[in-house]
Amino acid sequence: MSESSVPLPFRVIAALGLVVLLLPVVIVVLSGLNAGEYLTFPPQGLSLRWVRAFLTSPTFMPAYGFSFTLAFGATLISTVLGTMASVFLTRSTSRWTGTLRGIFMLPIVLPGLVLGLALYVFYATTDLGLSRSLTGLLIGHVLVTCPFVIATVSAALVGFDLSLEEAARSLGATALGAFLRITLPIIAPAISAGSIFAFIISFGQFDVNLFLSIPNLQPLPLAMYASLRYAFEPTAAAAGIFAIALVALSTIATSRLVSFKRMFGA
Amino acid sequence: MTESIKPPSYSRRQALKLGTGAAVSLPLFNINHAWSADVTYDGGTFDAGGATLNVAEWGGFWQDLVRKLMLDDFEKQFNCKVAYDSAFPWFPKFVANPKDKPPFAVVNWNYPEMFKTAKAGDFFMPLDEVMANVPNSKNVWPFATANKVGITWAYARYCYAYRTDMAAPPPTKFADFWDARYAGKRGTYITSNTLQMDFFLAACKVFGKDQYDLDAGYDAMKRASPLKISDFTGNMQALLERGEVAIAVQDDGEAYLQAKKGIKVAALVWDEVKPILTQTMTVSRYTDPVQKKLSLAFLNRTLDAGFLNKFTEAFNYAPVTKDAVIPATLAEFGIKNTADAVSGFTIPDWNSYLEHEDDIVETVNQIFGSH
Repeated sequence: MSESSVPLPFRVIAALGLVVLLLPVVIVVLSGLNAGEYLTFPPQGLSLRWVRAFLTSPTFMPAYGFSFTLAFGATLISTVLGTMASVFLTRSTSRWTGTLRGIFMLPIVLPGLVLGLALYVFYATTDLGLSRSLTGLLIGHVLVTCPFVIATVSAALVGFDLSLEEAARSLGATALGAFLRITLPIIAPAISAGSIFAFIISFGQFDVNLFLSIPNLQPLPLAMYASLRYAFEPTAAAAGIFAIALVALSTIATSRLVSFKRMFGA
Repeated sequence: MTESIKPPSYSRRQALKLGTGAAVSLPLFNINHAWSADVTYDGGTFDAGGATLNVAEWGGFWQDLVRKLMLDDFEKQFNCKVAYDSAFPWFPKFVANPKDKPPFAVVNWNYPEMFKTAKAGDFFMPLDEVMANVPNSKNVWPFATANKVGITWAYARYCYAYRTDMAAPPPTKFADFWDARYAGKRGTYITSNTLQMDFFLAACKVFGKDQYDLDAGYDAMKRASPLKISDFTGNMQALLERGEVAIAVQDDGEAYLQAKKGIKVAALVWDEVKPILTQTMTVSRYTDPVQKKLSLAFLNRTLDAGFLNKFTEAFNYAPVTKDAVIPATLAEFGIKNTADAVSGFTIPDWNSYLEHEDDIVETVNQIFGSH
């Protein structure tokens, strides 16, 4: 469909939607470049002082690195588990599939605070050594990110033509080989989209962090909250600039990676 | 009594391994007694053998400063690791954990949540026991322990921060906040902020019979509306700086800090009622002996004049020990560390507030939202 064939009202609505989506990003960027003492908008002049403050901060840089590592780990696990779960959910004929799908999606439905608190209580009372541990925090992040992978990969698998896999099997491929060489490249864009969602959700996660965060290692959202609570400096917005940049870069990098895969596949 | 508390070294599974419940119940009771009372600390350093001390305090710049001024040295001197957790709130974490495994050994609080937690269970070491084992606590002003739960180590007075170039003449008394010259230019906080809680209770007392006269407080909030509502004091500073509010509830340290920066802001410290914004520490009752001893050492170090002088200077808080020095920024505005200067501070009946908190929050939010 050419652009001119899209009705004008739709284009106007789409443009408005784009503005609404981009406006917070613009405000964060400009606030982070504020020359004034406080996190205000419009900025009182432009300056890199808060960007420098972020880059030299003993709080923000470790928090940024920790959030990145945590999100990366959670994304890897969620992508593998979520893809496996999606394959099962879309191909299983069990009558429990619907119930299982509901359970898998529960973390999206539950308010994050409730999930965080529930996990905290579970860790604290079961004495499994997960309370205030990196493993416990990672499990929390996997729980909240996995449904996003499942949702996107399942959508791709629902319309998947199984005869392609069957053809590979008939030519001697094993079940795993057929999946890896036929199915996986086809659903790679969906896996990529799901993993991007997972990364973004994990990197910006606040609710689960609030209850499961570990001593001496503060994730970025909590560091930003603490900064706003006690100083209200634009350093938090400067951290936001780097968070936005990271998400944008990871999106671009992942989409490039998927394109390469397609290229190699072709 | 501590009869229901088990020592942390005996989990249920371990207890079953040891034999029947009857066989272990007597030793457990004795150990409980020992753990609840027998840890002593004399103010010196000791080797904690690499133990971890779980501390809950505020994050951000606060954490950086505590780390720099105290934690690194503390860890070296006591051969321990301080696990610093700044993910507030602490209350649900105390309640969610088994009583014999408190999430934190030392916690820094503002009053409301501390009282709420104290009310929910006997999580904290009794104050007289703490004071008996924290030598530096002998040196604090009486108001620092008047709350009977923890030891306050730093404080700020509540005040109005007002713009000196807007709506003259300047305020001279608590009730001036309601004067017509500030209409539409008043600022306070969301109902979960301690400053708003104290402001509300102060209004109850000034305009009503006492702090329990909630109707007087509601009426005062109505008369002050419309109000600019902030989440944090930092945001209120920004509103003051931009002139979006001409008068706002604030703590005096932050008001003086703004004035010092050349912003046209001054403070009117409340004198009709004298609530204070406090930093108060508690020591958890049911931690293992090493962690408890470290907790007492940590609190003792917090009350040390060397730490207090540097910390309060950075945050513009006033220290609570008689030998501490008032930060230069506060001294410049006439704040003194004398018996007269700290007399008459009031601690609202927080237990009563917490009992009525749901009603207060709902009603005040309705008032704030209706303008």
